Amino acid sequence: MNTFFLVIGIGLCVLVFFVLYRVVFGPGVFNRIAAISAIGTKTLVIILIMGIIYNRIDMFVDISMVYALLNFIGTLAAAKYLEIGGEK
Amino acid sequence: MIRKTDDIIIRTVARILVPFIQIYALYVIMHGHYSPGGGFQGGVILGASIILLLITHGLVETTKKISERAIAIFSSIGVFIYAGIGVLCLLLYGNFLDYSKLSVILNVTPAEARSMGILGVEIGVSFTVMAIMISIFISISTTEDHSKYDKEHY
Amino acid sequence: MNAVSIVIAIFVVLFTVGGLFFFTTSTIGLLRFPDFFTRLHATGKGDTLAVLFSLIGIGIYEGLSLTGFKILLIAVFMFLAQPTATHAISKAGMRCGLQPWKKEDNRK
Repeated sequence: MNTFFLVIGIGLCVLVFFVLYRVVFGPGVFNRIAAISAIGTKTLVIILIMGIIYNRIDMFVDISMVYALLNFIGTLAAAKYLEIGGEK
Repeated sequence: MIRKTDDIIIRTVARILVPFIQIYALYVIMHGHYSPGGGFQGGVILGASIILLLITHGLVETTKKISERAIAIFSSIGVFIYAGIGVLCLLLYGNFLDYSKLSVILNVTPAEARSMGILGVEIGVSFTVMAIMISIFISISTTEDHSKYDKEHY
Repeated sequence: MNAVSIVIAIFVVLFTVGGLFFFTTSTIGLLRFPDFFTRLHATGKGDTLAVLFSLIGIGIYEGLSLTGFKILLIAVFMFLAQPTATHAISKAGMRCGLQPWKKEDNRK
């Protein structure tokens, strides 16, 4: 079962690198924020899978929760900042 | 100056989520010795919940709940708890922050006194971190004296 | 391996592979769609469903415990938070004057 979760985790890491293309080259700041939010969502699952592989999921689940929380608040703050900047 | 969002979806979801985020922050502070977390991390989550309230409900509505004077008092109280526990250990013939000497006051064994002492220090750290994070956010997002804006739009 | 653990393993594999599949589709959408709103449409819905599937798979693997309850809590939180964040970004983009893509336009 550990090998199966390792394969899933490697697949998610490859997907993160594909999304990183949109962060670097994406036209405009909004595409970049959407891509960063998507990377945060994938990282949450990667942290949980790392916890299963290391057999310490009771530790990693707390980190994953905080990551989800800060990803949400960061996205909201960026959207709010750009909304005010767009009003001119 | 932080305006409040005119979007009802974001405001409602933030209002629903803030109490649960704060309860989770208290859990992180209290379980600092067994799981990842502790005073600093729990304080950051507490501060993040108030920052979520600030960016969705605006400055005026949030400072009705927790005013800037209260934030300044909280940051001082946290440092006072931390240094107070340290000096208390000094007064009981121990080193600074030597919690096992607190067993005389708390009437427990020295091992339990260590556990309780570090919990007290973590509570103090979390107060200070929360207050300083909120005050930094308010300081970098407001440039002038914000008491003279009209209360309707902000 | 007895019958119950085989059934549990089958469910874990089904849900986790389903999560990876939806993550892949949302990533393809983010890379290939022509403008901001369509890309957000792909990631906003695809990622929410994919996180839900992955967390259900990991939660079944973990079983009934405090950790399983926390994983369920993360799933509920993401189900509330992810659509809200997507809504906030898309509204900010609309306020900033991003135009939706029409069929005649070139890809940008």
